[in-house]
Amino acid sequence: MRKKRWVPWVLIGPALLVIVLTTIYPLLAALYYSFHKYNLRRTPQFAIQIGEGGISIDWSLLSLENYTRAFSDSRFINSLEVTFWFTVLSVGLSVVIGLFIAVIVQKGGWLHTLTKVLLIFPFAVSPALKGYSWRFMLNENYGVYDLLIDSLLVRPLNALLSLFNALPLVEIPLISESIVWLGDKFWALFMLAMSETWGWAPLIALMFVGALGSIDEQIFEAARIDGANRVQIFFRVTLPLLRPVILIVTMLKTIFSLKMFDQVVTMTGGGPVRATQTINYYIHQMGFVRSLDIGYASAMSYILVIVLTICAALYVALVLNRD
Amino acid sequence: MIKSLSLAKLLETAALLLIVFFIMLPIVWLALTSIKPQEKAYTTDIVFAPTLDNFRIIFSDTSVIINEGTQRERSEVGRDMFPSVINSVVVSGATILIAIPLATIAAYAFSRYLFLGNRALLIWILTTQFIPAIVVAIPFFTLFRSIEVFDRPLLGTQLGLIIVNMSIVLPYAIWMIKGFVDALPGEIEEAAYVDGCNDFQVLFFISLPLIRPGILVASVFAFIMSWNEFLFALIIGREMRTMQVALMTTSGARGIMWEQMAAAGLVVMLPIFFLAMFIRKNVVYGLTMGAVK
Repeated sequence: MRKKRWVPWVLIGPALLVIVLTTIYPLLAALYYSFHKYNLRRTPQFAIQIGEGGISIDWSLLSLENYTRAFSDSRFINSLEVTFWFTVLSVGLSVVIGLFIAVIVQKGGWLHTLTKVLLIFPFAVSPALKGYSWRFMLNENYGVYDLLIDSLLVRPLNALLSLFNALPLVEIPLISESIVWLGDKFWALFMLAMSETWGWAPLIALMFVGALGSIDEQIFEAARIDGANRVQIFFRVTLPLLRPVILIVTMLKTIFSLKMFDQVVTMTGGGPVRATQTINYYIHQMGFVRSLDIGYASAMSYILVIVLTICAALYVALVLNRD
Repeated sequence: MIKSLSLAKLLETAALLLIVFFIMLPIVWLALTSIKPQEKAYTTDIVFAPTLDNFRIIFSDTSVIINEGTQRERSEVGRDMFPSVINSVVVSGATILIAIPLATIAAYAFSRYLFLGNRALLIWILTTQFIPAIVVAIPFFTLFRSIEVFDRPLLGTQLGLIIVNMSIVLPYAIWMIKGFVDALPGEIEEAAYVDGCNDFQVLFFISLPLIRPGILVASVFAFIMSWNEFLFALIIGREMRTMQVALMTTSGARGIMWEQMAAAGLVVMLPIFFLAMFIRKNVVYGLTMGAVK
């Protein structure tokens, strides 16, 4: 082999340097800020001072105050809860609907192929635009989603309920036709998760389509010959074989959901009454909008970093296990 | 038997149509709204006389008057969006012009050389993508406030945003291009070494031309990522508005002007549709950094 030992380091060096500067530097700086009282409205006092006499450290300026403050801040606790439920809803819906789409479109005629091509479309719509378009379509006066939900779901359901209520049994209250989707605490969070699902379920479907395609056709053939129907094949053959991919995709989507920010700004603005204030949104509010408390924002984002580090470790373990 | 089979077929077709409807509705609705006359934008009518007025409005300062009544009230709202289009193109373009060459040579080294820590470094690069963007944004915000380039603070400039974009684009690009190098058989390179080429000659004259399609795909992917990026654009880009941030300027004293938002939205997504179609087969590989093919 003529390859020289130092060559790879020359080739990797520049990229590595840029990655370190744009990820490790901010990680360290944010950690440092998080132990300080650091508000942009005042001149901050930093513990490490570099002067003529060398480096001096004033330990009294460092404190865990920002961290203790976070855990007694009911709005921060609220943002943890919101993020948790958003993640559970959006990951669950994206993976289940993605799996459903993948199984349907995987093989078949031209309509299957066409649908497979369309799956890439939501990827082209930026998250910020996704938020705006969903907000527009959910409007209670002129939103097309509102119209469709009312006429295709609520009214038929109410008709059924009225029939049932005609019987002298229990009286079930009818569903309101005038729900303000983004004005209701539950529905706002649910619709935020739905907008995320709209963007991700098709992409996750594409991931599963690839995985399904790599399964040996003879396995399905054998199951069919043994008399299994489609539902049985799905639960007994497809699902177990896809398990490693499902785990990886679920973990990856969990990480993306925990990082979600854009649509909260453009779709709900955190409302109503903080019902959709995710961690990222609350950090942004405290650091850049309502107060300019960089120290507190850094501490809160470090709590998120710790959560994501655990997820990342799990993800890497899953990926390495599979290879 | 035949009867149950056709019922299954019918259900499958219905499910397919439902999927198509679910995917396409927001996109079609946005496109429709963008060509609706203003008085029809706030209805669910689908019959109307199409107009390009909304595009004309967002690309002129007249929307200030429509949004705010008078031009003086809030000049930030409803400005001509053309500078934002330029900002987005410049930022995304410069981001890939810097990131892709760096990523290409790094990816090649990761794929072709066995060195201490090769695998560990690659995985570390992957995990940098799990850092929440807000943690990257906070220190760069404070840093760029105090750094001045040509007597202007870096905060709110194209350069500032390009630098921060590296943190999301570079790792993905390295992983994507590495996938393409991995797929290339090494025999041609071996032959070149035998013929007396050195490492760099092999890289630049033998391998690079062969992985050009892969570099193109990674560039398009990286372009889409930085084009659609919102958090950095909001915090670091600030008043240098990219298109993602300019979408917010359709919101004035009378709320969001949806017909203008839809027109701006179409400008944002239409070019990306073509790019996304072009790299359709590689998006999954890119997004999962090779974990799912």
